[in-house]
Amino acid sequence: MTDTIRDIYLNNPVSKKAWQQFLADRGITVFADKEVDTIDQTLGLYDDRDQLVGTGSIAGKTIKYIAVLDDGSGASGARFNQVVSALEMALAQAGHFQIFVFTKPQYQQSFEHVGFNTLAKTDYGLILEKGTPNITTYRANLPKKPESAQTVASIVMNANPFTKGHRYLVEQAAQQNDFVYVFVVNQDVSLFATAERTKLVQEGTADLDNVVVVNGGDYMVSYLSFPAYFIKDQDQAIRYQTALDASLFKEQIAKPLGIQTRYLGTEPKSHTTALYNETLMAILPPEVTVKEVPRLTQTDSEQVVTATAVRALIKEGQLDQLTHLVPKTTAKFIQDHLAELQNRITKGQNINGN
Amino acid sequence: MEIKKTAMAGTLESSDLQIMLSQGTKGIEFDLTSDVAKQFGDDIKATIKAVLDAFGIDNVLVKVVDKGALTPVIKARAITAAQRALDIADQPQWEVL
Amino acid sequence: MAADERLRRTMMFVPGNNPGLIKDAGIFGVDSIMFDLEDAVNMNEKDSARFLVYEALQTFDYGDAELVVRINGLDTPFYENDIKAMVKAGIDVIRLPKTENADMIHELENLVEAAEKEFGREVGSTHLMAAIESAMGVVNAYEIASASDRMIGIALSAEDYTTDMKTHRYPDGQELLYARNAILHAARAAGIAAFDTVFTDLDDMEGFERETKFIHQLGYDGKSLINPRQIATVNKVYAPTQKEILNAQNVIAAIEEAKRKGSGVIAMNGQMVDRPVVLRAERVMKLAKANNLVDAEGNYVEK
Repeated sequence: MTDTIRDIYLNNPVSKKAWQQFLADRGITVFADKEVDTIDQTLGLYDDRDQLVGTGSIAGKTIKYIAVLDDGSGASGARFNQVVSALEMALAQAGHFQIFVFTKPQYQQSFEHVGFNTLAKTDYGLILEKGTPNITTYRANLPKKPESAQTVASIVMNANPFTKGHRYLVEQAAQQNDFVYVFVVNQDVSLFATAERTKLVQEGTADLDNVVVVNGGDYMVSYLSFPAYFIKDQDQAIRYQTALDASLFKEQIAKPLGIQTRYLGTEPKSHTTALYNETLMAILPPEVTVKEVPRLTQTDSEQVVTATAVRALIKEGQLDQLTHLVPKTTAKFIQDHLAELQNRITKGQNINGN
Repeated sequence: MEIKKTAMAGTLESSDLQIMLSQGTKGIEFDLTSDVAKQFGDDIKATIKAVLDAFGIDNVLVKVVDKGALTPVIKARAITAAQRALDIADQPQWEVL
Repeated sequence: MAADERLRRTMMFVPGNNPGLIKDAGIFGVDSIMFDLEDAVNMNEKDSARFLVYEALQTFDYGDAELVVRINGLDTPFYENDIKAMVKAGIDVIRLPKTENADMIHELENLVEAAEKEFGREVGSTHLMAAIESAMGVVNAYEIASASDRMIGIALSAEDYTTDMKTHRYPDGQELLYARNAILHAARAAGIAAFDTVFTDLDDMEGFERETKFIHQLGYDGKSLINPRQIATVNKVYAPTQKEILNAQNVIAAIEEAKRKGSGVIAMNGQMVDRPVVLRAERVMKLAKANNLVDAEGNYVEK
């Protein structure tokens, strides 16, 4: 009569195989290590004959790999709710009261029915959240534009670290608009920690009165972090991920905050970033104009200014070159913390990403 | 009184109610999801508010997903959430029951 | 001992954190409802289940069913709060799991009495029962059964018991034979009820009926159930025969006859009717009525 929740241990090959088969039978077929390895806990729902009738997993504060048996008995809704409920309890136990889920469009209603709020939706999938903090509390805590401001722009940057190229982009936006939001990507996976990156952007733009620097929270996620374990095709997965990010920005950030323009640096080197920019240009207009600003080149050469180049110099310890690439504030920080930064690189911090 | 930490109680199963209490900014604020919100929304809120009042919690965000819970269930879930949010889950306030 | 002659054929387990099952538990007509705060409740939800059962007991109508709650064991951090909450709620019976000896019952009794005083309940109104789940518990069954005037019964809990005995459950139940007899003897000697363990395979209704017939034959008061689907089978097994009913009716008639004549001695067919016979007759009539086997005039109703 009652279905019971039990842990599924994916480090037990037998359990993992049964779990994969159950999901595969329900159209979830992507079990790439980069998706599966992030799972913290997997739950199974078993009926009174000990058959697996539902499963779901949590990874950080994200619900993943959720599926329930729909045997036509009308129990699938109840099973779905029981699995989501148990996952939420597990998340609460781990201290997560803000929960995200990335899922297929057909599950939108099921999740909304149990209190989730849709943040963004594309043809491929959607992202929902539940709990607090949430997008509403995030927006409420952002600085408001002055009432007099007519034109509002924004830039999203990782700034790892803040370079003259970033500075140039911000200057352009600040000259052409009354007010500029600079969102610093919150995800802490870069050589420079989130707090360091934010501080350097703030210091590097302190003289620009109409610019505010804020943390991007969970909403201006690096698109790389959107899971797409239910999409097999890699290209499609990237399109899905970038489209979600773009649509989330448009609906939840730009529209409510009155942002009319988003500034981007051109990306001649990275294929994926170029693809991301392409998606932004496809999704944001007409409500939000996209302005691509050509990359700043170094004063005495054709080399574009990139944070990747700055990180390479840090690794080599060639600080004399720095002033061509970064503002004084960033240069000083690097000089003061060179040993620690190099230590992070030695310990395996990747410096060739973003 | 403010709560000490975010807390959740109850489930999304039929006849149950899931309640989450988090830091409030302007008094007791409700966010209710229920199929019967129109008929019973006010009753559900009143039951929960009475429990919060009994614990002296007056500044809190209350997110509720109702799955057809009856009053004693609503009350029990609210009590559990309040005890957890005040970090006294293992010291039941008997006079509140 | 607090034993009375109420029927305890069916004791249905109800998970303590499941509102759907808790609210419906009264509609199946079981003799006892056992709300479970122990094994059926996840470690992190013990507080939740405790408050839920508490509120349910304040509000829902469970008719004539005896209301039992299985609290968490003495060695857990939930034990004392479970006792307080359930005493305050006015539960009929507290069931202690994993009972090994009389001291555990004494400790429970002290806490129950303190809670009765704290919450203004009549001292002695909360009854107790013990689940026996180990070899030690079986060996000490009589001292447990007779440990307190509040005791109304002891129960065999076979899952943990068979593990303790380094075996597991088999369809023929041979592994439980000694424990079943020892517990039943202890209960009878102490004058309280004996409850048999659960039968977990819901698909094997035949096996369930066989086991129920067997424990009925031994003399058990009833069986623990995990699903309402099992109720009818137990009631059928415990239903008296037409002959038993007629005999019981005659015993009761003989008592009335003796009363009418003002005679101190009850006789039937030239034999003295003693107390056990009277008690059995009363029990048979209770069973007959519970199974709707007699009409208002006392005629046997064919099923």
